[in-house]
Amino acid sequence: MSVKYIPVQWNPNKWYYDGIMLVGVAAFLWVFLYITPDALGHERPINPQIHNARAFGACAFTMLTVILCIGPLARLDHRFLPLLYNRRHFGVMTAFVAATHAGYILDWYFAFSSRSPVQGLLEANTSYGQIAGFPFEILGVFALICLTLLAATSHDFWLKFLTPPVWKRLHYLIYAAYAAVVGHVVLGILQDDRGIGVNLLFIGGAALVCVLHLAAWWQGRAEPMGIAATGWVQVAPVDAFREGFAKITKLPDGDRVAVFLHEGQLSAIANACAHQNGPLGEGKIVDCLVTCPWHGFQYDVRNGQSPAPFTEKVPTYLVKVEGGAVFVNPAANPPGTAVAPVPLEKGAT
Amino acid sequence: MSDKPFFVGYLPAPGGLRGCLVLAGALLMLGMAAAGFALGVAQDDPGEGAFRFDYGRQTVTGVVELTPYPLIHVTEGNDRIKAGETFMMSAGGKSGVDGRAAPLAGQVAQVSGVMLERGDLYMLQLRGGRNGIRAAEGSGAVPEPQDLGRWRLAGEICDGKCLSGAMRPGRGLAHKACANLCLLGDVPPVFVSTQPVEGSEFLLITGPDGTALPEAAYDYVAQYVTVEGQVRRHGSLLVFAMDPDTLALAP
Ligand code: FES
Repeated sequence: MSVKYIPVQWNPNKWYYDGIMLVGVAAFLWVFLYITPDALGHERPINPQIHNARAFGACAFTMLTVILCIGPLARLDHRFLPLLYNRRHFGVMTAFVAATHAGYILDWYFAFSSRSPVQGLLEANTSYGQIAGFPFEILGVFALICLTLLAATSHDFWLKFLTPPVWKRLHYLIYAAYAAVVGHVVLGILQDDRGIGVNLLFIGGAALVCVLHLAAWWQGRAEPMGIAATGWVQVAPVDAFREGFAKITKLPDGDRVAVFLHEGQLSAIANACAHQNGPLGEGKIVDCLVTCPWHGFQYDVRNGQSPAPFTEKVPTYLVKVEGGAVFVNPAANPPGTAVAPVPLEKGAT
Repeated sequence: MSDKPFFVGYLPAPGGLRGCLVLAGALLMLGMAAAGFALGVAQDDPGEGAFRFDYGRQTVTGVVELTPYPLIHVTEGNDRIKAGETFMMSAGGKSGVDGRAAPLAGQVAQVSGVMLERGDLYMLQLRGGRNGIRAAEGSGAVPEPQDLGRWRLAGEICDGKCLSGAMRPGRGLAHKACANLCLLGDVPPVFVSTQPVEGSEFLLITGPDGTALPEAAYDYVAQYVTVEGQVRRHGSLLVFAMDPDTLALAP
Protein backbone atom coordinates (compact mmCIF):
# COMPACT_ATOMS: atom_id res chain seq x y z
CA MET A 1 0.00 0.00 0.00
CA SER A 2 1.47 3.28 -0.87
CA VAL A 3 0.48 6.87 -1.33
CA LYS A 4 3.69 7.89 -3.00
CA TYR A 5 6.02 5.87 -5.20
CA ILE A 6 9.47 4.95 -4.11
CA PRO A 7 11.55 2.27 -5.86
CA VAL A 8 11.14 -0.32 -3.12
CA GLN A 9 9.46 -0.02 0.26
CA TRP A 10 12.01 -2.08 2.09
CA ASN A 11 11.23 -3.93 5.27
CA PRO A 12 13.11 -6.72 7.06
CA ASN A 13 11.09 -9.48 5.38
CA LYS A 14 11.97 -8.15 1.94
CA TRP A 15 15.64 -8.10 2.89
CA TYR A 16 15.46 -11.71 4.04
CA TYR A 17 13.55 -12.69 0.93
CA ASP A 18 15.98 -11.07 -1.48
CA GLY A 19 18.96 -12.32 0.48
CA ILE A 20 17.79 -15.92 0.28
CA MET A 21 16.95 -15.54 -3.40
CA LEU A 22 20.34 -14.04 -4.23
CA VAL A 23 22.20 -16.72 -2.28
CA GLY A 24 20.16 -19.36 -4.14
CA VAL A 25 20.98 -17.84 -7.54
CA ALA A 26 24.64 -17.40 -6.63
CA ALA A 27 24.79 -21.01 -5.39
CA PHE A 28 23.27 -22.32 -8.62
CA LEU A 29 25.67 -20.34 -10.81
CA TRP A 30 28.73 -21.03 -8.70
CA VAL A 31 28.10 -24.79 -8.65
CA PHE A 32 27.30 -24.89 -12.38
CA LEU A 33 30.24 -22.70 -13.38
CA TYR A 34 32.99 -23.83 -11.05
CA ILE A 35 32.13 -27.25 -9.63
CA THR A 36 30.63 -29.10 -12.58
CA PRO A 37 33.57 -28.75 -15.04
CA ASP A 38 35.70 -30.93 -12.76
CA ALA A 39 32.82 -33.31 -12.15
CA LEU A 40 32.26 -33.62 -15.91
CA GLY A 41 35.88 -34.54 -16.42
CA HIS A 42 35.85 -33.85 -20.17
CA GLU A 43 39.24 -34.21 -21.73
CA ARG A 44 38.78 -30.85 -23.41
CA PRO A 45 36.32 -28.51 -21.72
CA ILE A 46 33.19 -26.96 -23.18
CA ASN A 47 33.89 -23.39 -24.37
CA PRO A 48 33.67 -21.09 -21.33
CA GLN A 49 31.23 -18.83 -23.17
CA ILE A 50 28.93 -21.76 -23.92
CA HIS A 51 29.28 -23.06 -20.37
CA ASN A 52 28.38 -19.60 -19.03
CA ALA A 53 25.43 -19.28 -21.39
CA ARG A 54 24.14 -22.67 -20.30
CA ALA A 55 24.60 -21.85 -16.61
CA PHE A 56 22.59 -18.63 -16.87
CA GLY A 57 19.97 -20.21 -19.15
CA ALA A 58 19.47 -23.20 -16.85
CA CYS A 59 19.35 -20.87 -13.85
CA ALA A 60 16.67 -18.68 -15.48
CA PHE A 61 14.62 -21.80 -16.29
CA THR A 62 14.93 -23.03 -12.69
CA MET A 63 14.01 -19.62 -11.27
CA LEU A 64 10.99 -19.35 -13.53
CA THR A 65 9.92 -22.83 -12.50
CA VAL A 66 10.21 -21.92 -8.81
CA ILE A 67 8.31 -18.65 -9.37
CA LEU A 68 5.46 -20.45 -11.09
CA CYS A 69 5.31 -23.09 -8.35
CA ILE A 70 4.90 -20.46 -5.61
CA GLY A 71 1.39 -19.35 -6.62
CA PRO A 72 -0.27 -22.79 -6.57
CA LEU A 73 1.76 -23.87 -3.52
CA ALA A 74 0.43 -20.88 -1.59
CA ARG A 75 -3.10 -21.83 -2.57
CA LEU A 76 -2.58 -25.44 -1.54
CA ASP A 77 -0.93 -24.60 1.78
CA HIS A 78 -1.05 -21.16 3.35
CA ARG A 79 2.33 -21.62 4.95
CA PHE A 80 3.79 -20.91 1.50
CA LEU A 81 2.12 -17.49 1.32
CA PRO A 82 5.24 -15.62 2.49
CA LEU A 83 7.02 -16.87 -0.64
CA LEU A 84 4.51 -14.87 -2.65
CA TYR A 85 5.16 -11.69 -0.75
CA ASN A 86 8.18 -10.43 -2.66
CA ARG A 87 7.89 -12.64 -5.72
CA ARG A 88 8.21 -9.68 -8.05
CA HIS A 89 11.87 -9.27 -7.02
CA PHE A 90 12.37 -12.92 -7.95
CA GLY A 91 10.83 -12.15 -11.34
CA VAL A 92 13.02 -9.11 -11.94
CA MET A 93 16.10 -11.13 -11.01
CA THR A 94 15.03 -13.84 -13.45
CA ALA A 95 14.81 -11.29 -16.24
CA PHE A 96 18.41 -10.21 -15.50
CA VAL A 97 19.66 -13.81 -15.43
CA ALA A 98 17.84 -14.59 -18.70
CA ALA A 99 19.26 -11.44 -20.32
CA THR A 100 22.77 -12.52 -19.30
CA HIS A 101 22.15 -15.90 -20.96
CA ALA A 102 21.01 -14.12 -24.13
CA GLY A 103 24.07 -11.86 -24.00
CA TYR A 104 26.46 -14.82 -23.91
CA ILE A 105 24.63 -16.49 -26.79
CA LEU A 106 24.65 -13.38 -28.97
CA ASP A 107 28.26 -12.68 -28.14
CA TRP A 108 29.39 -16.14 -29.05
CA TYR A 109 27.20 -18.09 -31.46
CA PHE A 110 26.14 -14.98 -33.37
CA ALA A 111 29.34 -13.00 -33.13
CA PHE A 112 32.38 -13.14 -35.44
CA SER A 113 30.32 -12.91 -38.63
CA SER A 114 29.81 -10.21 -41.20
CA ARG A 115 26.24 -9.81 -39.94
CA SER A 116 25.40 -8.07 -36.69
CA PRO A 117 24.55 -10.57 -33.91
CA VAL A 118 20.86 -9.65 -33.99
CA GLN A 119 20.73 -9.92 -37.78
CA GLY A 120 22.52 -13.25 -37.55
CA LEU A 121 20.04 -14.44 -34.93
CA LEU A 122 17.11 -13.59 -37.16
CA GLU A 123 18.57 -14.71 -40.47
CA ALA A 124 20.85 -17.67 -39.86
CA ASN A 125 18.22 -20.32 -39.34
CA THR A 126 14.82 -19.83 -40.96
CA SER A 127 13.64 -23.45 -40.90
CA TYR A 128 10.36 -22.55 -39.19
CA GLY A 129 8.47 -25.35 -40.90
CA GLN A 130 10.16 -28.20 -39.07
CA ILE A 131 10.47 -29.45 -35.52
CA ALA A 132 14.01 -30.82 -35.60
CA GLY A 133 16.18 -27.85 -36.44
CA PHE A 134 13.43 -25.31 -35.65
CA PRO A 135 14.99 -21.92 -34.84
CA PHE A 136 14.33 -22.37 -31.14
CA GLU A 137 16.26 -19.19 -30.39
CA ILE A 138 13.23 -17.15 -31.41
CA LEU A 139 11.21 -18.71 -28.59
CA GLY A 140 13.89 -17.57 -26.18
CA VAL A 141 13.74 -14.08 -27.67
CA PHE A 142 9.98 -14.01 -27.14
CA ALA A 143 10.33 -15.19 -23.54
CA LEU A 144 13.01 -12.61 -22.86
CA ILE A 145 10.83 -9.82 -24.25
CA CYS A 146 7.97 -10.98 -21.99
CA LEU A 147 10.22 -11.20 -18.92
CA THR A 148 11.68 -7.77 -19.61
CA LEU A 149 8.23 -6.27 -20.06
CA LEU A 150 7.01 -7.86 -16.84
CA ALA A 151 10.09 -6.77 -14.93
CA ALA A 152 9.80 -3.23 -16.28
CA THR A 153 6.13 -2.98 -15.29
CA SER A 154 6.44 -4.82 -11.99
CA HIS A 155 6.38 -1.67 -9.86
CA ASP A 156 3.12 -0.57 -8.26
CA PHE A 157 3.35 2.65 -10.24
CA TRP A 158 2.53 0.62 -13.36
CA LEU A 159 -0.15 -1.29 -11.53
CA LYS A 160 -1.92 1.96 -10.75
CA PHE A 161 -1.19 3.50 -14.13
CA LEU A 162 -2.42 0.52 -16.15
CA THR A 163 -5.21 -0.30 -13.64
CA PRO A 164 -5.14 -3.63 -11.81
CA PRO A 165 -7.23 -5.63 -14.32
CA VAL A 166 -5.00 -4.61 -17.27
CA TRP A 167 -1.84 -5.06 -15.21
CA LYS A 168 -2.97 -8.48 -14.05
CA ARG A 169 -3.77 -9.57 -17.58
CA LEU A 170 -0.44 -8.26 -18.82
CA HIS A 171 1.31 -10.24 -16.12
CA TYR A 172 -0.35 -13.46 -17.22
CA LEU A 173 2.28 -13.20 -19.97
CA ILE A 174 4.47 -15.07 -17.51
CA TYR A 175 2.69 -18.24 -18.64
CA ALA A 176 3.33 -17.47 -22.31
CA ALA A 177 6.95 -16.80 -21.42
CA TYR A 178 7.25 -20.09 -19.56
CA ALA A 179 5.64 -22.03 -22.42
CA ALA A 180 8.11 -20.37 -24.80
CA VAL A 181 11.01 -21.24 -22.52
CA VAL A 182 9.89 -24.86 -22.35
CA GLY A 183 9.70 -24.89 -26.16
CA HIS A 184 13.11 -23.19 -26.35
CA VAL A 185 14.64 -25.88 -24.15
CA VAL A 186 12.83 -28.84 -25.71
CA LEU A 187 13.61 -27.81 -29.30
CA GLY A 188 17.13 -26.74 -28.42
CA ILE A 189 19.24 -28.58 -25.92
CA LEU A 190 16.88 -31.50 -25.31
CA GLN A 191 16.81 -32.51 -28.97
CA ASP A 192 20.54 -32.59 -28.91
CA ASP A 193 21.54 -33.94 -25.58
CA ARG A 194 21.61 -37.64 -25.38
CA GLY A 195 21.81 -37.67 -21.58
CA ILE A 196 18.61 -38.72 -19.87
CA GLY A 197 19.38 -36.58 -16.80
CA VAL A 198 18.97 -33.21 -18.44
CA ASN A 199 15.74 -34.34 -20.10
CA LEU A 200 14.30 -35.52 -16.81
CA LEU A 201 15.24 -32.36 -14.98
CA PHE A 202 13.79 -29.96 -17.52
CA ILE A 203 10.68 -31.96 -18.22
CA GLY A 204 10.23 -32.74 -14.52
CA GLY A 205 10.37 -29.02 -13.67
CA ALA A 206 7.77 -28.12 -16.29
CA ALA A 207 5.58 -31.06 -15.22
CA LEU A 208 5.75 -29.92 -11.58
CA VAL A 209 4.45 -26.48 -12.58
CA CYS A 210 1.55 -28.09 -14.47
CA VAL A 211 0.67 -30.54 -11.69
CA LEU A 212 0.71 -27.88 -8.97
CA HIS A 213 -1.51 -25.59 -11.03
CA LEU A 214 -3.96 -28.41 -11.65
CA ALA A 215 -3.97 -29.36 -7.97
CA ALA A 216 -4.56 -25.75 -6.91
CA TRP A 217 -7.34 -25.39 -9.45
CA TRP A 218 -8.92 -28.62 -8.26
CA GLN A 219 -8.79 -27.55 -4.63
CA GLY A 220 -10.04 -24.05 -5.37
CA ARG A 221 -12.87 -24.96 -7.71
CA ALA A 222 -16.06 -23.36 -6.42
CA GLU A 223 -18.61 -25.25 -4.41
CA PRO A 224 -21.97 -25.44 -6.15
CA MET A 225 -23.82 -22.21 -5.44
CA GLY A 226 -26.96 -22.30 -3.35
CA ILE A 227 -29.19 -19.66 -4.86
CA ALA A 228 -32.39 -18.82 -2.99
CA ALA A 229 -35.60 -17.96 -4.85
CA THR A 230 -34.93 -14.33 -3.99
CA GLY A 231 -31.68 -14.46 -5.95
CA TRP A 232 -29.49 -14.20 -2.84
CA VAL A 233 -26.57 -16.60 -2.79
CA GLN A 234 -25.95 -18.89 0.14
CA VAL A 235 -22.46 -18.59 1.60
CA ALA A 236 -22.30 -21.05 4.50
CA PRO A 237 -24.14 -22.15 7.62
CA VAL A 238 -23.84 -19.68 10.46
CA ASP A 239 -21.71 -21.94 12.59
CA ALA A 240 -19.06 -22.20 9.87
CA PHE A 241 -17.91 -18.64 10.59
CA ARG A 242 -14.89 -17.89 12.78
CA GLU A 243 -14.13 -14.54 14.32
CA GLY A 244 -11.67 -12.55 12.21
CA PHE A 245 -11.93 -14.80 9.16
CA ALA A 246 -14.09 -15.09 6.06
CA LYS A 247 -16.06 -17.60 4.07
CA ILE A 248 -15.80 -17.22 0.31
CA THR A 249 -18.49 -17.90 -2.23
CA LYS A 250 -18.72 -17.58 -5.98
CA LEU A 251 -21.48 -15.47 -7.51
CA PRO A 252 -23.40 -16.29 -10.69
CA ASP A 253 -21.32 -13.71 -12.61
CA GLY A 254 -18.11 -15.51 -11.60
CA ASP A 255 -16.92 -12.92 -9.04
CA ARG A 256 -16.18 -14.07 -5.53
CA VAL A 257 -17.36 -12.55 -2.28
CA ALA A 258 -15.64 -12.78 1.10
CA VAL A 259 -18.00 -12.64 4.10
CA PHE A 260 -16.09 -11.78 7.28
CA LEU A 261 -17.13 -12.22 10.88
CA HIS A 262 -15.80 -9.28 12.88
CA GLU A 263 -16.79 -8.64 16.49
CA GLY A 264 -19.75 -10.95 16.08
CA GLN A 265 -21.07 -9.20 12.99
CA LEU A 266 -21.00 -10.13 9.32
CA SER A 267 -19.78 -7.92 6.48
CA ALA A 268 -19.17 -8.83 2.85
CA ILE A 269 -16.59 -7.38 0.49
CA ALA A 270 -15.26 -8.46 -2.90
CA ASN A 271 -12.73 -11.25 -2.60
CA ALA A 272 -10.37 -9.65 -5.12
CA CYS A 273 -7.86 -7.26 -3.61
CA ALA A 274 -7.56 -3.90 -5.38
CA HIS A 275 -3.80 -4.40 -5.51
CA GLN A 276 -3.22 -7.56 -7.53
CA ASN A 277 -6.47 -9.46 -7.09
CA GLY A 278 -5.14 -11.32 -4.07
CA PRO A 279 -7.79 -13.44 -2.27
CA LEU A 280 -8.94 -11.16 0.58
CA GLY A 281 -11.17 -13.92 1.92
CA GLU A 282 -8.06 -15.98 2.64
CA GLY A 283 -6.72 -13.10 4.69
CA LYS A 284 -7.51 -12.15 8.26
CA ILE A 285 -8.77 -9.19 10.19
CA VAL A 286 -5.78 -7.52 11.80
CA ASP A 287 -6.32 -4.40 13.91
CA CYS A 288 -9.94 -4.23 12.75
CA LEU A 289 -8.90 -4.28 9.07
CA VAL A 290 -9.13 -7.08 6.53
CA THR A 291 -5.53 -7.81 5.60
CA CYS A 292 -4.69 -9.30 2.22
CA PRO A 293 -2.62 -12.48 2.47
CA TRP A 294 -0.45 -11.54 -0.50
CA HIS A 295 1.12 -8.17 0.26
CA GLY A 296 -0.82 -6.95 3.27
CA PHE A 297 -3.08 -4.25 1.77
CA GLN A 298 -5.84 -3.49 4.28
CA TYR A 299 -9.54 -2.63 4.04
CA ASP A 300 -12.25 -1.67 6.49
CA VAL A 301 -14.62 -4.60 6.30
CA ARG A 302 -17.68 -2.35 6.71
CA ASN A 303 -17.05 -0.15 3.68
CA GLY A 304 -14.32 -1.80 1.59
CA GLN A 305 -12.03 1.24 1.95
CA SER A 306 -8.36 1.28 2.82
CA PRO A 307 -7.61 3.40 5.88
CA ALA A 308 -6.43 6.96 5.18
CA PRO A 309 -4.14 8.08 3.67
CA PHE A 310 -4.52 5.08 1.34
CA THR A 311 -7.18 5.23 -1.32
CA GLU A 312 -7.78 1.63 -2.44
CA LYS A 313 -11.42 0.49 -2.43
CA VAL A 314 -13.23 -2.74 -3.14
CA PRO A 315 -16.96 -3.37 -3.70
CA THR A 316 -19.17 -4.33 -0.75
CA TYR A 317 -22.25 -6.58 -0.64
CA LEU A 318 -25.42 -6.86 1.40
CA VAL A 319 -25.59 -9.81 3.83
CA LYS A 320 -28.47 -11.51 5.60
CA VAL A 321 -28.89 -14.46 7.95
CA GLU A 322 -31.82 -16.75 7.32
CA GLY A 323 -32.67 -20.25 8.50
CA GLY A 324 -29.28 -20.82 10.05
CA ALA A 325 -27.35 -19.83 6.91
CA VAL A 326 -25.65 -16.68 5.66
CA PHE A 327 -26.62 -15.20 2.26
CA VAL A 328 -25.24 -12.35 0.13
CA ASN A 329 -27.00 -10.25 -2.43
CA PRO A 330 -25.06 -10.83 -5.66
CA ALA A 331 -25.50 -7.20 -6.74
CA ALA A 332 -22.22 -5.49 -5.84
CA ASN A 333 -22.28 -2.03 -4.28
CA PRO A 334 -19.89 0.49 -5.80
CA PRO A 335 -16.38 0.17 -4.31
CA GLY A 336 -16.15 1.84 -0.92
CA THR A 337 -19.92 1.81 -0.15
CA ALA A 338 -20.61 1.52 3.58
CA VAL A 339 -22.93 -1.35 4.57
CA ALA A 340 -24.18 -1.88 8.10
CA PRO A 341 -22.81 -5.16 9.51
CA VAL A 342 -25.34 -7.87 10.29
CA PRO A 343 -25.20 -9.62 13.67
CA LEU A 344 -24.58 -13.33 13.43
CA GLU A 345 -27.36 -15.35 15.01
CA LYS A 346 -26.80 -17.53 18.02
CA GLY A 347 -24.95 -20.70 17.33
CA ALA A 348 -21.93 -19.04 15.82
CA THR A 349 -18.69 -18.98 17.73
CA MET B 1 -7.79 -21.90 9.77
CA SER B 2 -8.28 -19.55 12.67
CA ASP B 3 -5.38 -21.02 14.64
CA LYS B 4 -2.87 -20.80 11.82
CA PRO B 5 -0.25 -18.05 12.00
CA PHE B 6 -0.92 -15.29 9.49
CA PHE B 7 1.98 -13.67 7.67
CA VAL B 8 1.86 -9.96 6.92
CA GLY B 9 4.89 -8.92 4.92
CA TYR B 10 5.63 -5.66 6.68
CA LEU B 11 5.22 -7.14 10.19
CA PRO B 12 7.60 -9.55 11.89
CA ALA B 13 6.82 -13.14 10.88
CA PRO B 14 4.63 -14.85 13.48
CA GLY B 15 6.48 -17.27 15.74
CA GLY B 16 4.65 -20.37 14.54
CA LEU B 17 5.67 -19.68 10.96
CA ARG B 18 9.32 -18.82 11.50
CA GLY B 19 10.53 -22.41 11.56
CA CYS B 20 8.72 -23.13 8.30
CA LEU B 21 10.17 -20.04 6.66
CA VAL B 22 13.73 -20.84 7.73
CA LEU B 23 13.24 -24.35 6.37
CA ALA B 24 11.76 -23.09 3.10
CA GLY B 25 14.62 -20.61 2.68
CA ALA B 26 17.24 -23.27 3.38
CA LEU B 27 15.54 -25.68 0.98
CA LEU B 28 15.42 -23.04 -1.74
CA MET B 29 19.12 -22.27 -1.41
CA LEU B 30 20.14 -25.91 -1.27
CA GLY B 31 17.70 -26.80 -4.03
CA MET B 32 19.17 -24.15 -6.32
CA ALA B 33 22.70 -25.43 -5.64
CA ALA B 34 21.56 -29.01 -6.28
CA ALA B 35 19.79 -27.99 -9.49
CA GLY B 36 22.94 -26.19 -10.63
CA PHE B 37 24.93 -29.35 -10.06
CA ALA B 38 22.40 -31.70 -11.65
CA LEU B 39 22.01 -29.58 -14.79
CA GLY B 40 25.71 -28.76 -14.99
CA VAL B 41 26.87 -32.37 -14.90
CA ALA B 42 24.27 -33.43 -17.47
CA GLN B 43 26.19 -31.80 -20.32
CA ASP B 44 27.56 -33.98 -23.09
CA ASP B 45 31.25 -34.22 -23.88
CA PRO B 46 31.97 -31.77 -26.71
CA GLY B 47 34.54 -34.10 -28.24
CA GLU B 48 38.18 -33.73 -29.07
CA GLY B 49 38.09 -30.92 -31.66
CA ALA B 50 39.97 -27.75 -30.69
CA PHE B 51 42.09 -24.84 -31.85
CA ARG B 52 45.69 -26.03 -31.63
CA PHE B 53 47.40 -22.86 -30.50
CA ASP B 54 49.76 -25.20 -28.68
CA TYR B 55 51.17 -26.31 -32.06
CA GLY B 56 52.17 -22.73 -32.83
CA ARG B 57 51.68 -20.99 -36.14
CA GLN B 58 51.73 -23.29 -39.16
CA THR B 59 53.13 -22.04 -42.45
CA VAL B 60 53.17 -24.31 -45.49
CA THR B 61 53.18 -24.03 -49.27
CA GLY B 62 50.91 -25.77 -51.70
CA VAL B 63 48.72 -25.59 -54.75
CA VAL B 64 45.34 -23.87 -54.45
CA GLU B 65 42.29 -25.69 -55.76
CA LEU B 66 38.76 -24.28 -55.76
CA THR B 67 36.10 -26.93 -55.29
CA PRO B 68 34.63 -24.12 -55.02
CA TYR B 69 35.74 -24.15 -51.36
CA PRO B 70 39.47 -23.55 -51.52
CA LEU B 71 41.83 -26.39 -50.70
CA ILE B 72 45.60 -26.51 -50.38
CA HIS B 73 47.49 -29.50 -51.77
CA VAL B 74 50.68 -29.25 -49.76
CA THR B 75 53.93 -29.26 -51.70
CA GLU B 76 56.25 -28.03 -48.94
CA GLY B 77 55.05 -28.98 -45.50
CA ASN B 78 56.47 -28.92 -41.99
CA ASP B 79 56.60 -31.45 -39.20
CA ARG B 80 52.82 -31.32 -38.62
CA ILE B 81 51.43 -30.79 -42.09
CA LYS B 82 53.19 -33.04 -44.53
CA ALA B 83 53.72 -32.63 -48.25
CA GLY B 84 51.04 -34.53 -50.13
CA GLU B 85 48.28 -33.70 -47.62
CA THR B 86 45.20 -31.69 -48.56
CA PHE B 87 43.33 -29.39 -46.20
CA MET B 88 40.55 -26.80 -45.98
CA MET B 89 40.86 -23.25 -44.75
CA SER B 90 38.86 -20.53 -43.10
CA ALA B 91 39.41 -16.93 -42.16
CA GLY B 92 39.04 -15.64 -38.61
CA GLY B 93 35.46 -15.80 -37.34
CA LYS B 94 32.62 -17.10 -39.44
CA SER B 95 34.16 -16.48 -42.83
CA GLY B 96 35.81 -18.47 -45.54
CA VAL B 97 38.82 -17.44 -47.59
CA ASP B 98 37.20 -17.69 -51.05
CA GLY B 99 37.90 -14.08 -51.95
CA ARG B 100 41.60 -14.31 -51.12
CA ALA B 101 42.09 -17.78 -52.61
CA ALA B 102 40.21 -17.31 -55.88
CA PRO B 103 42.92 -15.24 -57.65
CA LEU B 104 45.45 -17.96 -56.77
CA ALA B 105 43.48 -20.91 -58.16
CA GLY B 106 45.83 -23.49 -59.63
CA GLN B 107 48.88 -21.59 -58.40
CA VAL B 108 51.36 -22.22 -55.65
CA ALA B 109 50.66 -20.25 -52.50
CA GLN B 110 52.03 -19.94 -49.02
CA VAL B 111 49.41 -20.18 -46.28
CA SER B 112 49.87 -19.42 -42.63
CA GLY B 113 47.64 -19.70 -39.60
CA VAL B 114 46.52 -21.77 -36.66
CA MET B 115 45.31 -25.35 -36.88
CA LEU B 116 41.93 -26.65 -35.83
CA GLU B 117 41.96 -30.39 -35.36
CA ARG B 118 39.41 -33.07 -34.68
CA GLY B 119 40.74 -36.59 -35.15
CA ASP B 120 41.66 -37.02 -38.82
CA LEU B 121 40.03 -33.73 -39.77
CA TYR B 122 41.98 -30.53 -39.67
CA MET B 123 41.70 -27.09 -41.11
CA LEU B 124 43.83 -23.96 -41.05
CA GLN B 125 42.44 -20.65 -39.84
CA LEU B 126 44.50 -18.23 -41.87
CA ARG B 127 46.02 -15.01 -40.65
CA GLY B 128 44.56 -11.80 -42.01
CA GLY B 129 45.22 -10.50 -45.53
CA ARG B 130 48.38 -11.50 -47.38
CA ASN B 131 49.94 -12.83 -44.20
CA GLY B 132 47.42 -15.63 -44.39
CA ILE B 133 47.70 -16.55 -48.06
CA ARG B 134 49.88 -15.22 -50.84
CA ALA B 135 51.44 -16.42 -54.08
CA ALA B 136 54.69 -18.27 -53.56
CA GLU B 137 57.61 -19.53 -55.58
CA GLY B 138 57.58 -23.17 -56.55
CA SER B 139 55.93 -25.55 -58.88
CA GLY B 140 53.05 -27.90 -58.56
CA ALA B 141 49.70 -28.73 -60.04
CA VAL B 142 46.30 -29.62 -58.71
CA PRO B 143 46.18 -33.41 -58.55
CA GLU B 144 43.63 -35.03 -60.81
CA PRO B 145 40.55 -35.89 -58.70
CA GLN B 146 39.82 -39.57 -58.44
CA ASP B 147 36.16 -40.44 -58.94
CA LEU B 148 34.92 -42.89 -56.29
CA GLY B 149 31.39 -43.17 -57.70
CA ARG B 150 27.94 -42.27 -56.48
CA TRP B 151 27.31 -42.84 -52.79
CA ARG B 152 24.32 -42.66 -50.49
CA LEU B 153 25.53 -41.43 -47.13
CA ALA B 154 23.91 -41.06 -43.74
CA GLY B 155 25.18 -38.47 -41.29
CA GLU B 156 25.22 -34.80 -40.44
CA ILE B 157 25.94 -31.65 -42.43
CA CYS B 158 28.16 -29.41 -40.29
CA ASP B 159 30.25 -26.33 -40.76
CA GLY B 160 33.82 -27.54 -40.95
CA LYS B 161 35.24 -24.93 -38.67
CA CYS B 162 33.05 -25.36 -35.58
CA LEU B 163 33.17 -29.11 -36.14
CA SER B 164 36.97 -29.05 -36.14
CA GLY B 165 36.92 -27.36 -32.75
CA ALA B 166 36.27 -23.63 -33.15
CA MET B 167 33.20 -24.20 -31.00
CA ARG B 168 33.03 -26.80 -28.31
CA PRO B 169 30.47 -28.29 -28.86
CA GLY B 170 30.39 -27.35 -32.53
CA ARG B 171 27.71 -29.59 -33.97
CA GLY B 172 24.17 -30.72 -33.23
CA LEU B 173 20.78 -29.06 -33.32
CA ALA B 174 21.45 -26.52 -30.57
CA HIS B 175 24.33 -25.31 -32.71
CA LYS B 176 22.41 -25.22 -36.00
CA ALA B 177 21.98 -21.44 -36.29
CA CYS B 178 25.68 -20.94 -35.61
CA ALA B 179 26.55 -23.56 -38.23
CA ASN B 180 24.26 -21.91 -40.78
CA LEU B 181 25.86 -18.56 -40.09
CA CYS B 182 29.31 -20.04 -40.70
CA LEU B 183 28.12 -21.69 -43.91
CA LEU B 184 26.55 -18.43 -45.11
CA GLY B 185 29.96 -16.89 -44.52
CA ASP B 186 31.57 -19.47 -46.86
CA VAL B 187 33.16 -21.62 -44.19
CA PRO B 188 33.57 -25.05 -45.84
CA PRO B 189 30.73 -27.48 -45.03
CA VAL B 190 31.70 -30.95 -43.89
CA PHE B 191 29.65 -34.15 -43.91
CA VAL B 192 30.18 -36.38 -40.88
CA SER B 193 29.33 -39.83 -42.14
CA THR B 194 28.11 -42.49 -39.74
CA GLN B 195 30.06 -45.06 -41.78
CA PRO B 196 33.57 -44.24 -43.00
CA VAL B 197 33.83 -43.68 -46.74
CA GLU B 198 37.07 -45.11 -48.10
CA GLY B 199 38.49 -44.82 -44.60
CA SER B 200 37.33 -41.29 -43.91
CA GLU B 201 34.48 -40.14 -41.70
CA PHE B 202 34.67 -36.50 -42.84
CA LEU B 203 33.97 -35.26 -46.37
CA LEU B 204 34.00 -31.71 -47.70
CA ILE B 205 30.56 -31.00 -49.19
CA THR B 206 29.86 -29.11 -52.39
CA GLY B 207 26.80 -28.80 -54.56
CA PRO B 208 26.63 -30.60 -57.91
CA ASP B 209 29.03 -29.54 -60.71
CA GLY B 210 31.42 -27.51 -58.61
CA THR B 211 28.83 -25.28 -56.94
CA ALA B 212 28.72 -24.22 -53.30
CA LEU B 213 26.48 -25.85 -50.69
CA PRO B 214 22.94 -25.85 -52.16
CA GLU B 215 20.44 -23.62 -50.42
CA ALA B 216 18.14 -26.59 -49.80
CA ALA B 217 20.80 -28.08 -47.55
CA TYR B 218 20.51 -25.31 -44.95
CA ASP B 219 17.23 -26.70 -43.61
CA TYR B 220 18.96 -30.02 -43.03
CA VAL B 221 22.09 -28.76 -41.33
CA ALA B 222 22.74 -30.44 -37.95
CA GLN B 223 20.11 -33.13 -38.50
CA TYR B 224 20.63 -36.79 -39.11
CA VAL B 225 20.10 -37.07 -42.87
CA THR B 226 20.64 -39.32 -45.84
CA VAL B 227 21.84 -37.87 -49.12
CA GLU B 228 23.30 -39.10 -52.39
CA GLY B 229 26.10 -37.66 -54.43
CA GLN B 230 29.38 -38.13 -56.18
CA VAL B 231 32.44 -38.79 -54.04
CA ARG B 232 35.82 -37.79 -55.39
CA ARG B 233 39.24 -37.87 -53.82
CA HIS B 234 41.00 -34.52 -54.18
CA GLY B 235 44.53 -35.18 -53.01
CA SER B 236 44.11 -36.67 -49.54
CA LEU B 237 40.64 -35.20 -48.97
CA LEU B 238 37.26 -36.64 -49.96
CA VAL B 239 34.86 -34.21 -51.60
CA PHE B 240 31.16 -35.08 -51.70
CA ALA B 241 29.20 -33.33 -54.47
CA MET B 242 25.76 -33.80 -52.96
CA ASP B 243 22.57 -34.02 -54.95
CA PRO B 244 20.11 -31.78 -53.06
CA ASP B 245 17.08 -33.61 -54.53
CA THR B 246 18.03 -36.72 -52.58
CA LEU B 247 18.27 -35.04 -49.17
CA ALA B 248 15.98 -36.67 -46.63
CA LEU B 249 15.79 -37.01 -42.88
CA ALA B 250 17.23 -40.34 -41.88
CA PRO B 251 14.80 -42.69 -40.17
S1 FES C 1 -2.88 -8.53 -3.88
FE1 FES C 1 -1.24 -7.43 -3.14
S2 FES C 1 -2.00 -6.88 -1.23
FE2 FES C 1 -3.62 -7.88 -2.02
